[in-house]
Amino acid sequence: MNSCYRKTLQGLNKYICFSKCICNFGICRILILVLFSISIAGSLKAKEDKTVIVLNSDSSIDKYSVVHTEFKSRINNPVLEIDLGSKWLDEEEIKEKMIQIDPDIIYCIGSKAYQMAYKMRRDNKLVFSLMINWKRFPAGKNVYGVSNELPQIMQLSMYRYFFPDINKIGVLYSKAYNIEWFKNAVKSAKEVGIEVIGRSIRKPDDIKSALNKLLQEVDAVWLIPDPVVIRDIESVKVIFETSDKARKPVLAYDKAFIGFGATLITSADIPTMGKQAARIVQEILTEQEISERVQDPAGSFNILNMKKVEDYDLQFNNEALDSVNEIVKLSYIKKYPNY
Amino acid sequence: MTSFINTFSIPIRRNAIFGKYRQVSSICLWFIFLWLLFPSEIFASRYTIYFYNPETNINNFVLLKNEFDRYLSEHGQFTFQPFSDKETFEKFAAKRKSGIFLISSWHYQDLSKKIQIEPVLIGILKGKPIQRKILFAKGDITNVDSLMGKSIASSGSEDYTKNILLQMLGKGKEDIINSLNVLTVPKDIDALMAFGFGMSDAALTTEHTQEKLSKINPKLCNMLNELASTETYLQIVAAPKQSDENIQQLLSLIAKMTSSLDGRKNLKMISLDGWKKVSKAERKYLEK
Repeated sequence: MNSCYRKTLQGLNKYICFSKCICNFGICRILILVLFSISIAGSLKAKEDKTVIVLNSDSSIDKYSVVHTEFKSRINNPVLEIDLGSKWLDEEEIKEKMIQIDPDIIYCIGSKAYQMAYKMRRDNKLVFSLMINWKRFPAGKNVYGVSNELPQIMQLSMYRYFFPDINKIGVLYSKAYNIEWFKNAVKSAKEVGIEVIGRSIRKPDDIKSALNKLLQEVDAVWLIPDPVVIRDIESVKVIFETSDKARKPVLAYDKAFIGFGATLITSADIPTMGKQAARIVQEILTEQEISERVQDPAGSFNILNMKKVEDYDLQFNNEALDSVNEIVKLSYIKKYPNY
Repeated sequence: MTSFINTFSIPIRRNAIFGKYRQVSSICLWFIFLWLLFPSEIFASRYTIYFYNPETNINNFVLLKNEFDRYLSEHGQFTFQPFSDKETFEKFAAKRKSGIFLISSWHYQDLSKKIQIEPVLIGILKGKPIQRKILFAKGDITNVDSLMGKSIASSGSEDYTKNILLQMLGKGKEDIINSLNVLTVPKDIDALMAFGFGMSDAALTTEHTQEKLSKINPKLCNMLNELASTETYLQIVAAPKQSDENIQQLLSLIAKMTSSLDGRKNLKMISLDGWKKVSKAERKYLEK
């Protein structure tokens, strides 16, 4: 009986001690601090797991798919990949997903993806690539990316490298869209010993007469993505046919012009653009300093039309063969006229 | 009993004929099945040049394959097989005995420990089998320590780039090398241009590319700040230690590339202008 009574007393004593401890303000404060730190650490941990959404304008387009794959091989944490080319997605659904995830970065492939991301989540950090003429689009301080166009000096350096005898290059442009571009091109060209001569046009109907005058002065024609010059397929045909009659090569910026008879295509290398975009995302995620918000593409992709080189008796620098990615020959053009 | 046999003799013979057909058709089906499963094994009689080069991020495989195949097929049943990935190359190449390897000297040193091969020819450019690899950096990066965490443009794979830098800067700088952000570009000239036009803080390229740039854009070339350099051998042609007549024929075909216009053009595509036989000293270096 005695021992039983003692045990009860000891139990009661322990309970009283425990209650005293709980009621002790010092210990309470420590407890609160510990809980507070745990919750802060938890939230910090959650913040560390930064999220990236990849928004692809249309993954069935080859270059969009290539850049997406390259990006994914370097960035492990995209939590969501949305293909805007898919028929089964609507804007509301995408918006809801974006709100749910609240990503740290949205990587936008192509103009459609960027426009949607900017409309929905302009306060998030947006990284873009494969946007034709990105300067046309609105961009805030949260926008980063890789430009679609090779810097003029890089293109001109390639022209000088491949064709040492080409000293005067002609450009058709519209003052409304490309006057600044043209002025810069003239300046850059001097660095590589090339003279850029331009003719501005106001409407596609002016192409033929302007080009005929230009062809008398230049060794080659440099085709640029000017919306007045390249209004439609007819204006493209006029440029290529007129230049061909004058036996002057056309230096273009997209693979699509090979079928029309472009002699050299110099464009940005797509996988390298994916690597650059991934690097920007990594730098943002690790809070590194980003020197340039929009970078120029670092790699080039060159397609050479050997048939045209032979037809026009062009002096091609054989040393530059290791910088050619594709050589197009007559048989290929005959087989795929729209290539 | 006889009538019983007679009654069934025709169907039995028919069955035998059908059986033979079935046998033949099942053999054919097996062959088709095996062909689908292991096409390269069945048609492995073609002797092949297996090409992999981590020094340049070559992405013109279709062009290389077409041009080399065209050159080789004029001289026999030979083909050219380029690879973009080291692991796939080694997995594939290690099993093959009907071919030779066109690889970088850096990779040879690694591969020769895994498979029984020996160096036969070494590439030359401007008469030299050696190339000088140069590390260029921005003007404000005056020493190697300032490279910590910076970006470097290179046409080689990340592994290769870091390995060359290790050879160039020594093990003491391993932390700096590992902190570098390697931007792999398609061509050596791209690496130098990317660096020159401000897309990276440094570049790893060759002296040969620097010379090319000096012809295209001397102003840009004058701005390049050389931080360190090292010398490496150019590409190697290696053959199995136990070779046969076909391998010898393929080797002599490669050695004779410089005597034809197409051969010289193909060599230019892989940044070479000739071959020389591997000397004793070179072999010793490559096999150390």
